[in-house]
Amino acid sequence: MFSRFVTVLLFAVLCLGIVHTSAAQDECNLSLAGRITDHESRQGLAGTTVVLRPGQQATQTDAEGNYHFHVCPGTYQLEVRFIGYATEQAEVRVNGAVIRNFQLHPDAVTLRGATVRGERVQAPVPQASSTLTGQALQQTRGQALGEALQKLPGVSAIQTGPSIFKPMIHGLHSNRVTIMNNGVRQEGQQWGQEHGPEIDPFIASELTVVKGAASVRYGTDAVGGVVLVQPKALRDSAGIGADVQLVGMSNNGMGAASATVDGNLRRLPALSWRLQGTLKQAGNTRTPDYRLDNTGFWERNFSAAVGWRKDNYGVEAFYSQFNSRLGILSAAIVGNRTDLEAAIARGRPATDAAFSYQIDRPYQQLQHDLAKLTGFVKTGNGGRLTATLANQRDYRDEYDVIRSSSDAGLRNLPQLSYQNYTTTADVVWEHPPVGSFRGSVGLSGTYQYNRYAGGTRQFIPFYTNWTGGGFVIERWQHERLLLEAGLRLDHRDLRTRRLTRGFATDSSSYYGVERNRFQYWTPSASLGAVYDATPHLTLRADAGLVQRAPAANERYSQGVHSGIYEEGYDISRPAGAPPLQPETSYNVGVTATLHDNPRLNGELTVYQNIIDGYIYQVIGEPITTIQGTFLPWRFQQTDAVFRGVDATLNYQLTPNWLLNGKAAMIRARNRTLDSYLIYVPADRFEVSLRRDWTGQADARFSHSFALVRGTAVRRQTRVPGSEYDPQAAPDGYGLLGAEVGATLRLGRTPVEVSLTGSNLLNERYRDYLNRFRYFADEMGRNVTLRLHIPLNFSN
Amino acid sequence: MKKTFFRPFAAAFLLAAPLLFASCSDNSDPEPEDDNELITTVRYTLTPVSGGTDIIAEWKDIDGDGGTAPTIGTLRLAPNTAYTGTVTFLDETKTPVEDTTEEVREESDEHLVIYTPSPISLMTVTRTDKDDNGLDVGLSTTVQTGAAASGTLQIQLRHQPEGKDGTSAPGSDDANVTFPVVLQ
Repeated sequence: MFSRFVTVLLFAVLCLGIVHTSAAQDECNLSLAGRITDHESRQGLAGTTVVLRPGQQATQTDAEGNYHFHVCPGTYQLEVRFIGYATEQAEVRVNGAVIRNFQLHPDAVTLRGATVRGERVQAPVPQASSTLTGQALQQTRGQALGEALQKLPGVSAIQTGPSIFKPMIHGLHSNRVTIMNNGVRQEGQQWGQEHGPEIDPFIASELTVVKGAASVRYGTDAVGGVVLVQPKALRDSAGIGADVQLVGMSNNGMGAASATVDGNLRRLPALSWRLQGTLKQAGNTRTPDYRLDNTGFWERNFSAAVGWRKDNYGVEAFYSQFNSRLGILSAAIVGNRTDLEAAIARGRPATDAAFSYQIDRPYQQLQHDLAKLTGFVKTGNGGRLTATLANQRDYRDEYDVIRSSSDAGLRNLPQLSYQNYTTTADVVWEHPPVGSFRGSVGLSGTYQYNRYAGGTRQFIPFYTNWTGGGFVIERWQHERLLLEAGLRLDHRDLRTRRLTRGFATDSSSYYGVERNRFQYWTPSASLGAVYDATPHLTLRADAGLVQRAPAANERYSQGVHSGIYEEGYDISRPAGAPPLQPETSYNVGVTATLHDNPRLNGELTVYQNIIDGYIYQVIGEPITTIQGTFLPWRFQQTDAVFRGVDATLNYQLTPNWLLNGKAAMIRARNRTLDSYLIYVPADRFEVSLRRDWTGQADARFSHSFALVRGTAVRRQTRVPGSEYDPQAAPDGYGLLGAEVGATLRLGRTPVEVSLTGSNLLNERYRDYLNRFRYFADEMGRNVTLRLHIPLNFSN
Repeated sequence: MKKTFFRPFAAAFLLAAPLLFASCSDNSDPEPEDDNELITTVRYTLTPVSGGTDIIAEWKDIDGDGGTAPTIGTLRLAPNTAYTGTVTFLDETKTPVEDTTEEVREESDEHLVIYTPSPISLMTVTRTDKDDNGLDVGLSTTVQTGAAASGTLQIQLRHQPEGKDGTSAPGSDDANVTFPVVLQ
């Protein structure tokens, strides 16, 4: 059996090499399935009639409200009818396995016949959350993860030049945003503002951002929010499918190709597998006036998954590897204060670069691999036990500009080389419903150790980190109201070993090792409610308390990193002062969502996050080094508050014209100093107008669309004093973008083609959140061509 | 069915095993770091042209950036006197001490040493060595002191991997130190 599996894998790899669109498709076996629920009680509706057009196939849902069709790729109309409920219709495009759920609204004459206690219902979280999926996600292909997420209101990114984007949710980032990569918390050197997440965004079929603290479920680092990177589910219908993505960009000559092949065996329907790989290469980015030297990058990523799934149990193994080299704009690595001031005064890089794919020093070389094993068992009566074990290795080498004749230059050694190993284990038990209560209990543990390679600088000390936590989340639902309460307790045991260098009286230097241990118990609690005020208006509210114990970098980072001198709090804390303490967040959020209306839909979120003992970096008194005077970025604690509003509005002008608006505003204060905080996103507004053309699904061209988008970002005026930022915030800016796309039918393959233009007016601008705003402008005009080719091979 | 169930399991464990075994060595201590670009010491040696003992001043920060403050020597020179000067860059954390000056000399077309006295009347420093392109380097100098006074002398080692043109503008500082100077 296993050897046959290998044969199939090999076959799949071969198929990947030969893009062969018209493989025999005698059978159409794509799964189109979903669940029909009562909109108000969220219970599954058994015996609902689901009609599929064209073809007039019809089926009835099972006891839990599930329906299932096997279809060819194409576009279908689904009609869902159940007595006592308003009939629903929807158009569904099927390229791979599709899940389409319906929530039916009770009709005037309400019949509450079927009350079936069904499978687990993914009840909505009380925090605001946004998802990028389908075409919206497709239109971000080729971008970095953090760049793509900026499409969601309230999500921004701390940027380091044109290639490094660090997701920021409601003004918080790095140690305060948890990224769940395929169900595993991403662990590496995520503290660094210039360390983008080591994740291949092509793996995702869905990107979800939970905006607001979700620490009870995802751990204390989720103070700001959570990014969920979800790959496509393993194929559940027999056959082999493939998905090819091709992206090209005009500005930096970026080319990316990504392919996924997945399959399910007819004779072993429980066994499914998936292979995925991505190649990406980009050259120097061009601003309206000049090219940015050494800003090319490449990525080479792959992943494999294999799963065995039965009704009552399942197991899945997953492995992924991410490899990347990122050139750093050489003009941005300036060194001491005089050089920094000279670079700012010059206003642009000193040298004009030509176009090139060449990556020289300085650059980052990254590798991240993840191996994961997960399984579930149903424990009867709707209970479910899930266990996940994962291992991650993260290598990050940073190559500075050095003398090429030095030992390190001759051997091309990195100046910083971190290695991080993390094992995470999670067990969650969703207990069977008890009355109106559903809930889950979980345990999670992390073991992590961090090293730097011999022959490189100590920037982060050696450390070993054990964390263990347990949580309970209970949901109570009655008619239109859902209440959720959660409690969590974590223990962090951080041990550090830091190298110290002294200077003996005989002027010889000596080394010592300073050992420290920090142990904290930190509680988290949350309360939330979801209320369906009307069938088209949902109100959510949540309140939470989170305590987060400081991480190693906040205590003990020290040295020059990418031209910036950074120092942890415990390095330079005054004698006798206590070490860095955990920070405590008190957060509340309220969200109103208008949904499933024929014309007007939208969402409004208002939030406040008070963080006592907020750990942040601030420019301190200049320090003298042999390389001159540096402005040190020191970790300090203060009391802070973040307040903000996110809004999205969709208005269907006519059946073919859609107007969309988005706004995000945030106000952050340093309560201790009665001042503002640095690097808080400026107000951002976006308006787009979209035209869709409905055509015959089997026509050569279908699903054509065109869109124009205007983005306006105000100047950030709420900034701390000028001594805390080497340069004042840049001016506000406005950008024009446009997209056109269509589905082109080649034989039976629906190929999605689109062209996206960004910064079409070639506007010269700088963004406040880009750490290279001191040195260079942002990217100029860029046109992106995207091709998405879903393929289906039957076996 | 039971039989086949364990095979994917076994395959999964094979995939995960290398990572599980990788995470077993967390008891090591950090090794003495080997900052391969570190300069701990700038030494300026002045030899009177008319003969006499060398005058040496050192600017030294043995524990690297941050931590203990650097020790800074004072240049005590005679007024209205000519000297020949040699600057040396050392990494004294290495055993034996590493002389970075050698690397600078090898890549003299990417380096420039800049001497800035303050006040300007304090002394005149003239670079006497050239790189392959005929541009100044500054590892060797002549110094002519002015009238009795006190002030400072800043010495900058500019690393200019691209665009060295004889001015200070390109590149960044590999060293940038300021010595107190007393002419008496």
